[in-house]
Order: sequence, then structure tokens, then C-alpha cells
Amino acid sequence: MNFFKISSALALVASTSIALAQNAPAPNSPTDVQLLQKQMLEMQAGIQQMQAQHAQEIEALKAQVAVQQKALDEFKNMAGSSAPPLPAGPAQTASTAGAIPASPAGAPLFPTTDSSVLATGSTAIAPVPSAPSVTAPDAIPTIDTSVVAAPTLGGSPITLAGGGKTYLNISLDVLINAAISTARDLETIEVGDHDPIHRGFNARNTELVFDGAVDPYFEATANIVFKLDPQNETSVEVEEAFAQTTSLPWNLQVKGGQFFSPFGRINSMHPHTWDFIDAPLVHGRLLGPDGLRGVGAQVSWIVPTPWYSQIMLAVQNGEGSTGFSFRNRGTGDTFYGRETIDRQLRGVQDLVFVPRWESSFDFGGTKTLLTGVSAAFGPNDTGPTSHTQIYVADAFYKWKPANAGGGWPYVKWQTEAMYRRFQAGRGLDDSFPVGETFNDWGAYSQVIWGFKTGWSAGVRGDYLHMSDSQVTDDPERQSRWRLSADLTWFPSEFSKLRLQYNHDFLEASHFLDGRDVDSVFLQFEFALGAHGAHKF
Amino acid sequence: MKIRSIILSFAITAAFLQSAHAKLNVVATLPDYAAVAREIGGDKVEVTALAKPTEDPHFVDARPSFVVKLRTADVLIEGGAELEVGWLPPLLQNARNEKIESGKPGRVMASQGIRLLDVPATLSRAAGDVHASGNPHFMVDPIIAKAVAQHIAQAFATVDPANAAGYQANYAKFEATINAKLQDWGRALLPYKGQPLAAYHDSWVYFAHRFGFTIETFLEPKPGIPPSPSHLAEVIGKMKTDHIKAILVEPYQNRKIAVKVASSTGAHVVDAAQFPGAFPNADSYSAHIDALVGRVAAALK
Repeated sequence: MNFFKISSALALVASTSIALAQNAPAPNSPTDVQLLQKQMLEMQAGIQQMQAQHAQEIEALKAQVAVQQKALDEFKNMAGSSAPPLPAGPAQTASTAGAIPASPAGAPLFPTTDSSVLATGSTAIAPVPSAPSVTAPDAIPTIDTSVVAAPTLGGSPITLAGGGKTYLNISLDVLINAAISTARDLETIEVGDHDPIHRGFNARNTELVFDGAVDPYFEATANIVFKLDPQNETSVEVEEAFAQTTSLPWNLQVKGGQFFSPFGRINSMHPHTWDFIDAPLVHGRLLGPDGLRGVGAQVSWIVPTPWYSQIMLAVQNGEGSTGFSFRNRGTGDTFYGRETIDRQLRGVQDLVFVPRWESSFDFGGTKTLLTGVSAAFGPNDTGPTSHTQIYVADAFYKWKPANAGGGWPYVKWQTEAMYRRFQAGRGLDDSFPVGETFNDWGAYSQVIWGFKTGWSAGVRGDYLHMSDSQVTDDPERQSRWRLSADLTWFPSEFSKLRLQYNHDFLEASHFLDGRDVDSVFLQFEFALGAHGAHKF
Repeated sequence: MKIRSIILSFAITAAFLQSAHAKLNVVATLPDYAAVAREIGGDKVEVTALAKPTEDPHFVDARPSFVVKLRTADVLIEGGAELEVGWLPPLLQNARNEKIESGKPGRVMASQGIRLLDVPATLSRAAGDVHASGNPHFMVDPIIAKAVAQHIAQAFATVDPANAAGYQANYAKFEATINAKLQDWGRALLPYKGQPLAAYHDSWVYFAHRFGFTIETFLEPKPGIPPSPSHLAEVIGKMKTDHIKAILVEPYQNRKIAVKVASSTGAHVVDAAQFPGAFPNADSYSAHIDALVGRVAAALK
């Protein structure tokens, strides 16, 4: 206490003199020197005055301490005799991380260790003398203050432990893929941006995740993805960065920022939560390599039904590669062979609207079904009035027995079927010979069997039908199917090793020959940081 | 006139719905909190447990139907010590229920006021899936269960002041039951005080602390890491030198491994469980501990 006062006074003096030295003009004239001398003398006098004052204060404090010591000694004597025990609660304050309540007045009135808790390596609370024991000496106690902080009825429990020690949860998730394939152009076979796109090693998804509560009204999440291209150059993607309300009335929730559209199931899932290494064909080709996401807002409403039912509506820009089938200029300003038009946003009608309705049903305690239908509507850049509509129906079913350990065993079945109506216009200045309407559709279905703790095996069938145009020559418009099988080992919740085999069959189209491709991928995932939670 | 009658019928319907939902709607993440909540709430509350008594509380699926339960909850009881960290947060994000927000009287963090054991001095997942705030399996210590019960009673009284006296009375009854039962449990287990036991997972530290066992031998090499043959060989050696006579296995753990270890050490497998409802005809908290104590005592006899 005294030391603190003196040192702070000294610090004050020091800082004043530094400030003076900085502010005073350079002492290059006799008058300046005199002025400085005068100031120094004044300061000396000031310091002496302060010293005297502090000496007085110290004396006063000493006296105070002596009085307190005396009181303390009396108190000790009292406690030593059969006087009632000290009240435990009010004097103690719950402290931070270590959560060790300070003993009253800092004096060692009680033993400061408790062997029953010390064994764990943490410093323990000084045991508070309990009320006179009513139990026989060899009986088991009914009160244990070393484990329970507030044994009296009425008082609020003291916060000693609890989750959420940080304002921001941070985690890092890295996916490394090794790929071998009969296709030299693996990037045209694999349809997703985070899939292995070239032979050899790929690091297409290093994801930093931040989440936490913004304030009492919002919580926020951001997923920043770093991708390495075949030249080992890094590109950064703000995959998601959004905030959403926590407790609006009437079961409403509003979300704003950059986020995955609520379109189907896999679209809004991050690649490390997928059951296969690569994206399904329909997603890569109809929604685009990056999936459907963008800057916008979403409102969702839980329908007050006895089962889970939720209706959502997202409104997003739908521009660029993450709005692939919408206002997307395409590679080299060309999309499906057409020179694209920069359709500036004229009004609300040019945004992408994504409605979704999802419902879930439990069948007993072990089986759950989650189904949904979604749509996406918006303009596209192949013509001044061209429009795109996409629809998807999705279903996810999971069985997990009542005595599952570590999350195993389980069976998961997941299917999505998608249809897109794409009006391909005549491009910039009607430069393309014809306008067409593409009716593209496809589906995938996969079954994953978690057969043994830490292990799962899966099969997936994938089909994509693209309208075969006589005039539009685009390698992405090839109808095709794919069969996949994979085997995954999870050494822990925070790492996994996955081996996947793909057989691709690309059908012959007007412009392209059919061909078969075989690929094998090996994926290694590792995660650091905050414990991720899994949505259903 | 017509409008008035419509309003009136609405009011009657609302009042009817109100009375239908007059009971406090309580959701507990785990069956042990639910069992205690039922005793404190009596017929004034409707309690739902999210996790099943036989499933691994670390890995519960965040089923969408849980959102429906949380959406209408008046009180949520959770451990608050990271046990439910893998599945509760997305449910709460979706539930959008102001009453059970963190810090509200309707949100009960059972670990509040509990001195958690095994708080790691340093955090590293090289040590397995350790819980940063300490071992969260504290409800098998009846003295801690009393504190949690008291906490629940206080929360119920705050959220539903009309029935506060009833909740406090139920708490007093619960406390008296546990105090009396503790003597029985103590008598049953004190003869084996100081004995070492083995367990599949490190979830028995509070039980051991209460009844004077040491449980420091685990079939899992590290929390959440499945047993490896080399580790099991080590465990078998240790069990022989320490004369460990029982292995505690929970319903969701690999019993076959425990049986194998037991057969090569002469120890008994104890089909233990943390959660009321896991044993037949033992749905209340004290009936569950009765059964648990009985099973442990029988194995050590």
C-alpha cells in the first residue's frame, strides 16, 4: 500500500520531468538555462513537500495496521475458542480464472491447502469450518465445503466454474488431400473449389473459424479460408462472416453478412464436415464450385408446431462466382459460350431470393429425419432479361443407438435432388446466335455407416443431366455420373484420415467425347483450437 | 359486437392455453439434472431430458426436435463445464428463447458453485479431450448433487415465485433424503475405503473422492482416446500389482474390452452408469446412487 503510493508519486514526478524536458525549448541561451534552474528548484521543493506528506501518511497507515493487527489477533483468539465459525460467504469474492476465493483480509486464519483437492494440482479453498457435526465420527459426512462453495440455502451460488472463458472462440481446420487420377485435367473432373483439383498434394481448405457473442443481441461467426493453388500461391476467401440475432420475439431470427444460402443440405456445410472429400456433381455444376453464398440478409421463423419446422428466406447479391448461376460474368467474361452483360443492380428484383422450408421428425429415440425444400430465383448475366430458377429437395436420416459411445455406431443417409432452369440469353449485344433454356437436373445419394468406434465407410451415387445443346460448347455442360466409396478413420474428434475412390463416367455430348476417369484421394484433416459443435 | 366476441374467444383460448402450460417447462441437457429437477419441481414442472441415460453425454446428436423443446423452455439446466459443448451451442443458437439466455434466471449452470476437480494446469489436446474447466462428471457425488438441487430450487423459485415455498420445501426434503442416504451409502462402501478401482473413462473422480476410493487406472489411454493393445497390457499389469478388483464400465463404453481385461486380472466388471434411468427401476437420483453403490459394493465383496 505505502510502497504503491510512494512509487506512484515518484512515477508521477518522473513523468512530469520527462514531459517538461520534452516541452522545454532547447537550453541554448542563458535565459533558458536560468529558467530551467528555476524550474528545477521549484520541482525540488515540490518533491520535498511530497516526501514530507508521504512520511505523515506512512505514519498514519502504520498506526492503522497496528489497530487492525490487534483486532485480528482478538478475532483469532475468538475463533480458536468455541465461538461460532466465521461466516463464509460475504467476505469471499469469486475471483477469475483460478476461481479461488480470497481468504478474508488475506490473513492465514485457516489452513490454505486441502489435500483432497490439492492432489489435482490446483490451489484449494481454505476449508471453512462447518457447522457442528451431527454425524458420528466414522460416518460419512453430509457436507463437504471443499467441493461445494455455497452450502447455505438462500444465498446465490458463487461462480467458481463455467464455460466461456473467452470472448472469441478461435479454431483452425486444415484439409490436405493427396490425389492420383487417370485424368490429367483433374480440375475439370472435380467440380468443387475445395476438392483436390490436381494430381499430387492439394491444400485447398485451411479454414480459420471465429465465433462468439457480439453483445446481448447478436452472435457472430466468420470462416476465413486460405487456398493454395497448383503454383502454391495462396488466395484468401471470406467464406462466411455473419451475425445473427439471439432472441427476437415470435421465434424469429435475422442474419446479416456473408453467408451460405439456406439451399439444400450440403451447400451450407463446410467441407471438413462432409462425408466425402469432394462436392457432389449437382452442387458443383448447378450452384457453382463455391456453392451458393453471398452478402445479404436472412430471416427465419420456427413454425410453432409440435415437430421441428422452420421457414427461411434469404436475399443475397448473387453476384460473381459465389452466385454462379446468377449475375456471374463467368471466366473471361464468358458464361456458357456467351459474352456476359454486366447487369447492374436495378432494384430488388435483381437480387437472388432463396426460400427454404425444413422439417424434422423423430422416430423413437434413435432415428431422426430432416427434410427440406429450397429454391433460388434471380437474374443471370447471359442476357438483359435472362433468369435462373433452381429447386432442391433434400433428406437426411440418421440412426444412432441409445447406448452410442463417442458418437458410434451410426448409419446416415443423405440425398439431394436438384433442378435448374437456366435461360441462356444471346449475350452482349446479341452476339450469340441463339437464346436457349437449359433444363439441368441431377441428384446424389449417399449412405455412411459408422461401423466401429472411430471408423466409417460410405458409398455415394451421383448423377448430373445437362441439356445437350447443339450450339453451346462448354466442358462444364457434360452429363455424367459418378460412383464413390470411402473409408474414414478418426483417431480423435480433432483429426481424420480418409481414403476415397471415385469412378467418373462422362457421357458423350454434341461437342465432347465420353470418357471414364478413375481417381483415388487420401485426405488428412486436423483441427486446432476451440471445440467445434456439430449441427444435425 | 362481433369484434368483441372474437376478442373474447381469443382471450378464452389464450387463457386455456395458458392453463394448459401452467407447469414450468424445464429442459435438462442430461438425465441426472432432469432427475433432480423432477424432485425439486414435483407436479409444478414438466421436465424433459435431451440426452438419453445410456448414451455418451459428450456426443449427443443435436436433433432438431431439441430446438422445439428449447424454444418453449422456461428453464434450461446444463452442466456448463464443457460436457455438452459439442452439441448444445447450435441448438441454443436456433432456439431463440430469451428466457434461457446465459445470465437469465431461467438458465441454470449446474457447475456454478462447484469446485471442479482435475482442472488442467495447462491445456493441450496431446492429453486427450480434456475439459478446460475441470472434470464435468460431478453429479455422482451426492453432496454436489445437493448443491445442484439447491441451485435448481433457487432458479425455479425465481422463475415461478408463486410456488417458491414448494420448491424450497422439496429441496429440504431432497437434502434430508440425501443426508440420510449418505449414511447408508457410507456404511456400504466404507469397508473398502482406500481401495483402488479401474474405470473405462475418467468420469468417476467425484464418486471416488466422496467414498474414499482411488480411481486412477483407465482403459482409455487418454480421455476420449480408444484403448490400444499396448495400453491395455500396461493396465493389466498395473491392476495386478495394485490388486484392483473392479472395473467401472458405462452403458456406452466398450464392455467387451473391460471383460477381456477383467478376465486376465481376476477383477469384476461393474456395469456402472452416471445417469438415473440407466439402471432398471432406478429413475430417481437416490435410487440410482443406491443401485450404483450396491453394484460397486457387490464387486468388491
